[in-house]
Amino acid sequence: MGAIEGILTGFEVAFSWEGILFVLLGVFVGTFIGMLPGLGPISAIAIMIPITYGMDPTLALVMMAGVYYGAVFGGSTSSILLNAPGISGTVASSFDGYPMAQQGKAGKALAIAAISSFAGGTISVVLLMIFAPMLASVAISFGPPAYFALMLLGLTAIASLSEGSTIKALISAVVGFMIATIGIDPQTGTGRFTFGSMNLLDGIDFLVIALGLFAIAEVCYLVMNRHKTAAGSGKEIGSLKLSKDDAKEMSGPVGRQSLLGFILGILPGAGATIASFISYIAEKRIAKKPEEFGKGSVKGLAAPEASNNAATSGAFVPLLSLGIPGSGTTAVMLGAFLVLGLQPGPMLMGDRPEVFWGIIASMYIGNIFLLVLNLPLIPYIARILTIPRPLLISLVLMFSLIGVYAISFSVFDLYLLLAFGVIGFLMRMFAFPAPPFILAFILGGMMEKSFRQSMTISNGSISILFENNISLVLIILSVLSFAFPIANSIWSKKKAG
Amino acid sequence: MLQGVNRKIGLILALLSIGYLYMSYQLPTYPYIPVDADAVPKTLGWVLLVLSVALFFSKDSDSEEQKAKRRIPKKDVKALLGVGALLLIYIMLFETLGFIIMTVLFVYFCSWFLGYKNHIVNAIVSIVFPIALYSIFVFMLQIKLPQGILPF
Repeated sequence: MGAIEGILTGFEVAFSWEGILFVLLGVFVGTFIGMLPGLGPISAIAIMIPITYGMDPTLALVMMAGVYYGAVFGGSTSSILLNAPGISGTVASSFDGYPMAQQGKAGKALAIAAISSFAGGTISVVLLMIFAPMLASVAISFGPPAYFALMLLGLTAIASLSEGSTIKALISAVVGFMIATIGIDPQTGTGRFTFGSMNLLDGIDFLVIALGLFAIAEVCYLVMNRHKTAAGSGKEIGSLKLSKDDAKEMSGPVGRQSLLGFILGILPGAGATIASFISYIAEKRIAKKPEEFGKGSVKGLAAPEASNNAATSGAFVPLLSLGIPGSGTTAVMLGAFLVLGLQPGPMLMGDRPEVFWGIIASMYIGNIFLLVLNLPLIPYIARILTIPRPLLISLVLMFSLIGVYAISFSVFDLYLLLAFGVIGFLMRMFAFPAPPFILAFILGGMMEKSFRQSMTISNGSISILFENNISLVLIILSVLSFAFPIANSIWSKKKAG
Repeated sequence: MLQGVNRKIGLILALLSIGYLYMSYQLPTYPYIPVDADAVPKTLGWVLLVLSVALFFSKDSDSEEQKAKRRIPKKDVKALLGVGALLLIYIMLFETLGFIIMTVLFVYFCSWFLGYKNHIVNAIVSIVFPIALYSIFVFMLQIKLPQGILPF
């Protein structure tokens, strides 16, 4: 099937009534969860996975993708209204969005955020449509050594780009990989670290880890902040109208940062959060009046909003075309693919064009829905923020428990969920980033498989990893991405000392 | 010697990696397999040990805001333990009493315990959501959830 036919198949899926319904459902749930401070897109996707059991995989994934970009789209509302970002990707949006809201221009800020997000999302879907098939056609020739090197790069990049200490991020990734080794080794049939328990023979389900480390750990923080009210969300938000000058001022940053956000989204380890910060800083550097940034600048709000949404689509490029996630959120998306019996990667475009193109095509519709949800309906949707925290906590816990039980029918997994919730809470408390953990957990099995396949091909010689140009370049990049932050920190310490 | 949070965590992780390494070296190996089941675990164990030592000797570079996260007020500790206890009870009785009964009770008592005093709204939410979810899973998705002592 050619690309044009594939695109048409994708639009057929996206414009079917079920396609439209599930996109709407996905973006609505995404906006809802993204808006709630504390709950991020990983929790949103993980909570939704059980709902997709038994569903048509294409529609399920169209919905899950909608949850992801919907969460990034919706996260800005609480950044602007409450100065409490719903997700980390919208922290930079609060720098100028919140001051604007305090000046009585909350409506204008929400409109700028919605339009920039829409533009960023739409521009990047066009780019996704171009780049994903190109990369897939290149990746079809990748052998196990190249795949191993690619995954290694994904892990080292996410660890070195994580917030805070690189050592802690690496520890998080290594422990995630260790958890992935639990269960029967598929090549030799050896039971590893099962402690004689039948429940551990199949390993630990990724949903247990995703919901435990993210949803349950986030709930712990909601419990600690249970008395905080969403003051400000019920206030009059003012006019949503933008002037011609505002539109003119936005157009430059939106165009530039959509492109930058998309590129950063493709890169392993980056993602919406890093993209939004880099775009904010970049726009401030080139601004004629940088002193306006942080005081309610239109450019300062438009840049991170366009960028974080563009990065979301960018992150789908490696996921769909290589089958390798570059961030914690896309790692959970990969988990969703696997739960539904699909393996993303270079073969997906040829084997299941309706899934590959259906997801991409649905993003156009999803972005239009998001614009409608986030512009005229925003005053009503913002009331979600006034949901009493105790009720929210109980319901998130309920969704998490039922999600895990419905995938394994095992009470043992519910205890594991609780244990990973405690681990996730402790990790946050002591500043160990959780995304490298989940990425390593998901990639761990695949990485080990590629490594062992490579070694079988070369009869045990590790030199195979350096003989192929692609894997050699990727391994050099992995070493650099790992060594650069360490060298940089030593250099800056020497400079300071 | 164990002053500073990095030292304590470093030590715990080092012990964990030693335990993991010990178990990795117990894994059986087979001839004619270039990379056996024990190779990756052994590598990971050693890498974690090195990283734990690096953490042990590294300075606590966390921001003040991050350090503040480590101090949990006593009343919040009680709330967290309370929710944990409710979850444990829920899991223990989940299959015996069934999804609907346990979930209704859990949502109601958890919200009440965390300070939600509007009993009518609480009761409505804690009845409607579990029943709606049960119906979706059991009747629409054909996924069986424990019915427990209820006849449906």
